[in-house]
Amino acid sequence: MALVPGVIKGLGVTFSEIVKTVTKGPETVQYPHAKEDPVPRARGVIALHEDNCTSCMLCARECPDWCIYIEGHKELAPPRRAGGKPRSVNKLDRFDIDYGLCMYCGICVEVCPFEALFWSPEFEYSEPRIADLLHDKTRLGQWMTTVPEFESYEAGAQVKGKKVPR
Amino acid sequence: MTATQPNIDRRQLSYIAGQAADARVNVELEAEGMTLNIGPQHPATHGTLRIVVRLDGEQVIEADPIMGYMHRGYEKLVEVRTYPQINTLVNRIDWLGSFANEVPFILACEQLMGIEAPPRAQWIRTLFFELSRIANLTLFLGDMGVQLGAVTPVFYAFRDREHILNQIESATGGRFHPNFDRIGGLKDDLPAGWVDETRRALGHIRKFCDVMEDLIVGNEIFEARTRGIGVIPADVALSYGLSGANVRASGVDWDLRRDSSNSGLVYDKLDWKVWTHPDGDSFARYWVRLQEVREACHMVDQLLDSIPAGPIMAKVPRIIKVPAGEAYVATENPLGEMGYYVVSQGGLEPFRVKIRSASFSNMSIAPWVLKGTYVPDVITILASLYFILGDIDR
Repeated sequence: MALVPGVIKGLGVTFSEIVKTVTKGPETVQYPHAKEDPVPRARGVIALHEDNCTSCMLCARECPDWCIYIEGHKELAPPRRAGGKPRSVNKLDRFDIDYGLCMYCGICVEVCPFEALFWSPEFEYSEPRIADLLHDKTRLGQWMTTVPEFESYEAGAQVKGKKVPR
Repeated sequence: MTATQPNIDRRQLSYIAGQAADARVNVELEAEGMTLNIGPQHPATHGTLRIVVRLDGEQVIEADPIMGYMHRGYEKLVEVRTYPQINTLVNRIDWLGSFANEVPFILACEQLMGIEAPPRAQWIRTLFFELSRIANLTLFLGDMGVQLGAVTPVFYAFRDREHILNQIESATGGRFHPNFDRIGGLKDDLPAGWVDETRRALGHIRKFCDVMEDLIVGNEIFEARTRGIGVIPADVALSYGLSGANVRASGVDWDLRRDSSNSGLVYDKLDWKVWTHPDGDSFARYWVRLQEVREACHMVDQLLDSIPAGPIMAKVPRIIKVPAGEAYVATENPLGEMGYYVVSQGGLEPFRVKIRSASFSNMSIAPWVLKGTYVPDVITILASLYFILGDIDR
């Protein structure tokens, strides 16, 4: 038999936690009224920088559940220099991500070779209808404003820092 | 005081009770035994596990776990996905310690491809492996209280686990599904200030372990409900293929972190010990896991101090093709031994992946250990075996 019975000791722990919560305030926040800031790396929603996209389809192919839909066509753009040949550029007709299917793995953002996709920590985009979770390219483009700058790295890292195109 | 009784009496009693239950089944097959369904929707089953229990009064004659209610067919799904895509799927097997699921698969692929991650990647990989162990077992420490009727500990567990999950999120981007491990290294390096922040989070976990020691381990009610209940002797534990803390609680000194020769993790460079307990009862399983969380905190501290500088990615082709061959790599996950047997035919996708998950084998002892116990103890024994349904059904 211990000196202090375990039950009493446990009650002491509970009491001290009550005192802590009353004096220092709770650890939780009341969500709709107060919000916690998600970390910059948090995978909330995918933003599309449309100018960089060449509709190369890499993201759509690498997606593990194939929830990205892309359609595009080639277009002739005016030449860069006067007198040059007109350039052929890829125009994006459709870029949809179905967030009803998305697994938030981030492979599309990782494989994009032209830096057109970015993670934004924004998370408030639930919908009453599941079909509305399909974000088209204008909606995905609007998320670009919420993309935070990339953080600097911990000491000893040899990874090159990246910049978000604005 | 029940807590101070020698354990051997309880063990003998439960053995006799088991024999008696056996005899009763043999004598009166059509007896007025009552069948009780525990689950599939039962809070104690951590998901959708169904246990059909045949009772004689309060005593269990026969327990039959029925699994598969949450079968998601990962072994088949991965056959039509490329290696980087598989990583996101295997995250979801044991959802409380997700990062630990990725590691054995990545190590198996690295072994087949003959590449090794650079030291910095190995260090950070081990670091996250231990962090996911802390996140997983911390919840167990609180959850065990809930199964015994004490609701308070689980709130403390959720509160303090959040600090670890925040650290995992701020580095990987995902709280539960990090998807951070890559063949040949890691996805990204740590953000600035992460190391100090993690040290602070470990302080919360250390305090939590002390609180649990005061709140639960020393509690007379807890001891009375767990000491000598659900005893698994070492030879039975081994013959049923138990692993992890369940087998260490039976006194078997076996830990894959120390005993396997995996190249991708750096446990051999750390100073740590394997905790065992001779009793093999529910209390021992709780105690071993409590010590393991503390040991993991100790390991993470050492890892944080000694992360080497350098790249985090080895030279890996952009399109990953694993050469033909077979490899089995198992690691000591929070729940026990988890292994992937990868068969490749040289393509973009594996030909076959066999997943050996710890909970499936740990669950197989349930019919043996539940026989002869009483109904309230069924819940505590299941809780102390600590399975996660995603890990059983896959």
